[in-house]
Amino acid sequence: MIRDSHTENTALRTIVRRLASLLLCLFVWTLPAGAAPLPVDEAFALHVSEAPDGGLAFQWKIAPGYYLYREHIEAKTADGGAPLPLETGAGIAKDDPNFGTTEIYYASAEATLAAPGDAPIALTYQGCQEDGICYRPETRVIDPLTLAVTAQGGLVAPKLSLWTPSPTATTADPATDRAPESTAAAPAFELAEDPGLIPSLMARGGVILVLAAFPLFGLLLAFTPCVFPMYPIMAGALAREGERLTPRRGFVLSSLYVLGLASAFALLGAAAGWSGQNLQMVLQSPWMAGVLALLFAVLALSMFGLYELQLPARWTNALSRGTGQGSGSKRAAVVLGFSSALIVGPCVTAPLAGALLYIAQTADVTLGAAALFGLGIGKGIPLIVFSTLGGGVLPRAGAWMDTVKQVFGFGFLATAIWMAAPLLPAGLELFLWAALLIGFGTYAFVHWPAERPGVVLARTASLLALLYGAVLTVGAAAGSNDPLKPLAVFAGGGAAGTSAPPLVFAPTGSTETFKAQLAGARGDRPTMIYFTADWCVTCYTIERSVLPAPDVKQALGGFQLVKADVSDVDPANTELMARLKVAGPPTMIFFDKDGKETAGARLVGDINRQTLTASAGLAMER
Amino acid sequence: MITRRNLLAGSAAGIAASAAGFTLLPAALQAQGMPTVKEVLFDPEIPVLGNPKGDVTIAEFFDYQCPYCKKAHPDLMEVVKADGNIRLVMKDWPIFGAPSFHAATMALAAQKSGAYPAAVAALMATDGRLSLEEINTALRGAGLDPAALQAAHDKKPDWINGILRRNDAQAEAFRFGGTPSYIVGTRIYNGVMDKKALLSAIADARKG
Repeated sequence: MIRDSHTENTALRTIVRRLASLLLCLFVWTLPAGAAPLPVDEAFALHVSEAPDGGLAFQWKIAPGYYLYREHIEAKTADGGAPLPLETGAGIAKDDPNFGTTEIYYASAEATLAAPGDAPIALTYQGCQEDGICYRPETRVIDPLTLAVTAQGGLVAPKLSLWTPSPTATTADPATDRAPESTAAAPAFELAEDPGLIPSLMARGGVILVLAAFPLFGLLLAFTPCVFPMYPIMAGALAREGERLTPRRGFVLSSLYVLGLASAFALLGAAAGWSGQNLQMVLQSPWMAGVLALLFAVLALSMFGLYELQLPARWTNALSRGTGQGSGSKRAAVVLGFSSALIVGPCVTAPLAGALLYIAQTADVTLGAAALFGLGIGKGIPLIVFSTLGGGVLPRAGAWMDTVKQVFGFGFLATAIWMAAPLLPAGLELFLWAALLIGFGTYAFVHWPAERPGVVLARTASLLALLYGAVLTVGAAAGSNDPLKPLAVFAGGGAAGTSAPPLVFAPTGSTETFKAQLAGARGDRPTMIYFTADWCVTCYTIERSVLPAPDVKQALGGFQLVKADVSDVDPANTELMARLKVAGPPTMIFFDKDGKETAGARLVGDINRQTLTASAGLAMER
Repeated sequence: MITRRNLLAGSAAGIAASAAGFTLLPAALQAQGMPTVKEVLFDPEIPVLGNPKGDVTIAEFFDYQCPYCKKAHPDLMEVVKADGNIRLVMKDWPIFGAPSFHAATMALAAQKSGAYPAAVAALMATDGRLSLEEINTALRGAGLDPAALQAAHDKKPDWINGILRRNDAQAEAFRFGGTPSYIVGTRIYNGVMDKKALLSAIADARKG
C-alpha cells in the first residue's frame, strides 16, 4: 500500500517467475535447531503515546536477550525531510570488544519528540539478538494525529517459492509476519484494486478489446452536435464534384476525409499517452471552450449565408494541382478531415475526458494513438454511409442545399450555446436556448412557402419551437436553470433544489491533510474526495447541475465531503493525486468508514446524477 | 438531468461505465516475485570463496559491522575448508550505515586484483563498530591500497552499487530480519549458525 516500487514488477515477470518457481519447487521443511530470532516486532515492540507535554513518547518493550542501539534511534519527517530532535535516555555503555563503545538498551527503551507537528514521522531503530542476528534498521511511520503506526516494509509475502522458508516464518504465515502493527493501526487510507477503463479492457480482452471498444465510443459520439460540422463540410466537398459524383466516389472521398480526421485524433492520443499528462488542462480550459463556442457561432452565420467560409483559394488550388483533378480532391479530403479534427476534437473532450485520462494513465503512446484513431474512425462511419448513399441521390447544389445549410446553422448555434453554457451566468443559458428556439420557429415559418411539400411538418416544428421557446423564457424569468424542466420551479413551490442546504466541501491540498480528514471520520461516516480545477469545464457542469440536485444532496448527505482544487499545480497536491492514483479532474473517490476505497465507485471524467448517486450508495453500504 | 453535455457525455460515460462494469475483475494480486537460485547463488559479479565447483552453496547475507557475523566467521571458514566441496558466496548487505557500505565496496573492489579473499578475511577479523579509517587500516594491514580501491570504484561506481542493490533486493524479497542470514542450498536460516548448525544444514542440502 505504501511501498509501490516493489509491487511494480510487471505482471508478466511475476507470472514467469511463478511458473519457474512451480517447476523447480521442492518443498522440504527442515528446521535448524537453536533459538531462532524473533520477528522484529516481537523483539522490539513499539508503543506510541502522547506525552504529557503534548509531544510524542515512543516506548519499546525489548525481549530478553535482545537490545536496541541508542545511536540508531532516529526520527525524520516521513516525506524524507529534516531529522527531528529525539530525546533518548542514557543506555548501557558496553565496553565489549565486540561492540566498541556503543550505548545499548536492554529490556526497554524510551524516546520522546517534543514538538511533533502534524506531518507523519518516520521513526527508525535498530537492534540485535545477543549472539544471534543484527536486525536491519526498521522504520515505522507514525501519524502524530491518530498515533497510528504503519510499517514501511512490504506486507505482501511471496506465496510460491523455490526457497525453503526460515524457521521464524514457519511459526506464522509469512503473510502475517509483519502484521501486528499493520492491523493494529490501519494505514491512513487504502485504495481499491480498481483498474481503470483501459486496464480493465486490457485485462479482459487485451489490446484487441481496447481497440474494438474505441470505434464504438466514436460511433456514439458521432451523433453529438460536435460532429455536425463535418456534414456540411463533406456535403460541400461532394457538391463540388459535380457530374463525377457517384456512390463509389462518395465513399472514397469520405473515407479519406475520415482517415484524415482519425489521424489527427491519433496524434492527440499519442500526445496523451506520451505525456502521461491530462491534456484536458489545455483542451478543457474555459479559453478553449469559449473560442470553440465562438467558432461554432461563426460557422453558423456562414451557414446562414452571411459569408462563405472556405479554405483559402491558394490552398485548394495547390491541392488540386499536380496529378490532375481526381487525386487533388482526394488530397483535399484528407486535409479537410485532418483540419476538421481541430473543431471536433476539443468539442468532444468533455465526454472524452475519461478516455483521455485513462490513456494518460497507461502512458502508452502506441495504444493511445491506436485507441483514438479508432475513435475517429467510429465518428466518421455515419459520415461515410451518408456520403456513399448521398453520392448517388444527392441533387445538385441549389436551393435545396441552402435549406440544409441553414438547418445546420441552427445546429451550430445550439452547439455554441452548449459549449459556452458552463461559462455563462446560471440564468443566461435558458434565455439563449429560448432565443434560439424562437429564432428557429420564426425561420421555419417564414422560409417554408405554403406551396412547398412538407409544409405541415415545417409549421408544426415551427410552432413547437416557438411554444417551447416561450416556456423556456418563462422558466428562465422564474429562475429555473434546467432546459428540460423549465417549469419545475413552480411545481416544487420554489426553485428546484433549494430546499436542502448546499453541500459543503472541506478543502484539502496534501496527503497529510487528507489523511487527517479521513482519520477524523474513521468509524463514523464515509468520505468522498472530489478533484476539481478552474480550468476544468466539465467540473463547472458538475458543480452547477449535478451537486445541487436534491437526490445528489441526499445521497451525499451522510458523507464527509472533501474537495481538492488542483487549479494550481503544486508538489503537495501532485503528491496527493499520485497517492490516490488520480490522473486529473474531475475525479471523485469514495472511502468507506474505515478509510478504504469502495471498489467500483470511483468516478472519472463525466459525472452525472445517476453515476454519482449510485457510487454514493455503494460507499454508504459498506 | 439529461441536458447539454450530460446528454452525450452520459451516453459515452454510460458505455464506458458498463464496459468497465462487466470487466470489473479483481486486479491480479501482484505477488512479489522471488529471486531465482541463479540470481542469488550465482551472481557472476560476486567472487566465490571455497570451492567454486562445489556441490553445495552457502550464501551469507552479512555486514562488516555486524558483531555476530564476524564472531561466527572463523567457524564458517573452517567448515568450508574442511568440507572442500562448498561454494561460499558472501552477500554484502550493509545495514549499519556508511562505514558498512565503505567496507563492502572496498572488499568487492579488491576482486579485480585477486585480493578479495584477503580483504574479506581482514575486515571480518575486526571488532564491532568500524570507522572509515579503521576499515582502511585493516585493509592496509592485508597489503591492500584503500585509495587505489576507492579510485577503481569511483571510475565505475555502477558495478559494485549494482551488486549491493541486487543483494538488498534479494534480502528484502526473503524478508530477512537482519544479518547474518544464510542460505544453504535452497534453505533459509536466520541468525548466527554455529559449526554444528552449519554441518547439519550442509548435510540436509546434500540430501536434497
